[in-house]
Amino acid sequence: MAGCTLTGALSVACFIPGAVAVVHAPEGCVHQTFSMLHAMMNDCDVSQIPEIIVSGIGDREVIFGGEDCLTAALDRAAALNPDLIFVVTSCVPETIGDDCGAVCSRHPYADKIIYVPTSGFLGGSAKDGENAVLTALASCVPLSQATPGTVALIGEKNLESEADQNYAEVERLLARLGLRVTVRFCRGCDAATLMHLGTAECFILRDDRCRPAADAIGERFGRPVVPEFPRGLSGCINFLNAVGHSCGIPEEKIAAAVQDELLYQDQMLEKFSGLTKKTICLGAEPFAGTSAVAREAMARLLMQENDSALPIKLPFYLPVGAAGVEKMLYLWRRAVNNG
Amino acid sequence: MRQIALYGKGGIGKSTTSANLSAAFAENGLDVMQIGCDPKHDSTRMLMHGRWIPTVLEQMYERKDLEMDDVIFTGFGGVRCVEAGGPEPGIGCAGRGIIATFQLLEKMKALNGDVVVYDVLGDVVCGGFAMPMRDGYAQEVYLVTSGELMSLYAANNICKAIARLSERSTARCRLGGVICNSKNMDNERELVAEFSRLIGSKMVQFVPRDKAVQAAEVNQMTVIEHAPASPQADVYRGLAKTILANDDLRIPTALDLDELEKLARAYL
Ligand code: SF4
Repeated sequence: MAGCTLTGALSVACFIPGAVAVVHAPEGCVHQTFSMLHAMMNDCDVSQIPEIIVSGIGDREVIFGGEDCLTAALDRAAALNPDLIFVVTSCVPETIGDDCGAVCSRHPYADKIIYVPTSGFLGGSAKDGENAVLTALASCVPLSQATPGTVALIGEKNLESEADQNYAEVERLLARLGLRVTVRFCRGCDAATLMHLGTAECFILRDDRCRPAADAIGERFGRPVVPEFPRGLSGCINFLNAVGHSCGIPEEKIAAAVQDELLYQDQMLEKFSGLTKKTICLGAEPFAGTSAVAREAMARLLMQENDSALPIKLPFYLPVGAAGVEKMLYLWRRAVNNG
Repeated sequence: MRQIALYGKGGIGKSTTSANLSAAFAENGLDVMQIGCDPKHDSTRMLMHGRWIPTVLEQMYERKDLEMDDVIFTGFGGVRCVEAGGPEPGIGCAGRGIIATFQLLEKMKALNGDVVVYDVLGDVVCGGFAMPMRDGYAQEVYLVTSGELMSLYAANNICKAIARLSERSTARCRLGGVICNSKNMDNERELVAEFSRLIGSKMVQFVPRDKAVQAAEVNQMTVIEHAPASPQADVYRGLAKTILANDDLRIPTALDLDELEKLARAYL
């Protein structure tokens, strides 16, 4: 995702049911940011229109300070009686030095306001905006005892294609260990559910993009963080081992889960026996690590690679688990069969 | 039209010097406009007999379709007085306020007459305060300083700004000279004259410390109006005359900090 911190922050904060995002910014910033989110929403078939209130800093506020217009925006947000109000900032109030933290803490709705000083381009990139919202939100979650057998996911994108299929794959693997997901932090979770983040035995990070937030969360709750969703076939095995150990699952149970998974993968690969010993040429790698996942699947099917053979496109997104590999192999088979 | 800007450290006496200079220009029958570019908006008070005139920024955000009469007020000697105004200390961006003020005056085609005197905030802290220099408004800069190190330091910084901005295509600003507004220090005249020489300029006036200034201020007038026959009034008239005759405008060379300190030590 491109854009300034505002884009990243809103991509997280806007999609929490029951929450309202207040953006302390000129209207243009939000228009530009929202156009980007809107384009991504269309791409991911998301039709939820987020509740965004913009303070609308103008020349007057730049000169005389924008704290009053932030208060007015908070009043408008509070009138909607939301569960949470996220306040994110553009580079303008940060440049002129509005004390947004003080404005939020003085407001009658202060208890439900999460102030995220994203600071537009001053705060970095969209990725930093995502991390800032996740970290700020996690810091409001109460500390609690871990509930055995539960995990939480961190950093799934709201505007990610195939997110639900990937989630299903993660759930499938976790079920082998007898684990279940209690919180998807923050995908589609309402405020009440998000507040249970601290009950997870371990946190599973979607990918490296939200690592700063995941590290902060792991540290705050004193729980391990599994660094990413499973990458391809061997990724499933690594994932089972990593999550199993993080949650204190007995060795025998992990070993059994791994055995079952290997068997499952063999059965899945069996469906693509027509590809065995075929020679293909892999196209350019869109995401680092995609070719490694593809080559591993090829090796399991005894396929060969040759530059002059049939060119095959690698999947745009890194295949998650065996399901991701299966989807990739369907496309290969179609390409090989149809020339 | 001559466009003259007075820059210098806060509290050095720029507003007093500007107001008396404007009054002296007006005495010469010139059509003068003075624009205070400080959020304190006290530049033109003595010309306006103690009246705090409404600031451009206040007006701009209270009303649409402003007329010239809403932001330009006539003071002593017919000097047209404008105060940019700006935020309270610690909030907002005063520099942006200066830019907005100039944009409005430009739109109104109000920047005219024989002389425009810009009385600019203490030091060039950002592009907003450099605006009068930057966009070709302040074509002649005069540095107001005393012999105190910190005020020389501010003056020296402004030399850096002039040197930098003079490279820009839209800027035509040059240094016209240095005005020493005396703090009654030993060797002050010599020190400021030497500083002026070292930066590649000259001291255009030594303004002695004189009770006439305080007396005029207490009576909410310029010295020129309150004590027209006083020697101090003649000092300001002399400054106005020198400036009007001055065609020696230069790009200054700022000193480095060590040189500046060495200079100050030499005249202790
Ligand atoms: S970089 Fe700053 S001005 Fe641009 S969209 Fe982001 S917040 Fe707005």
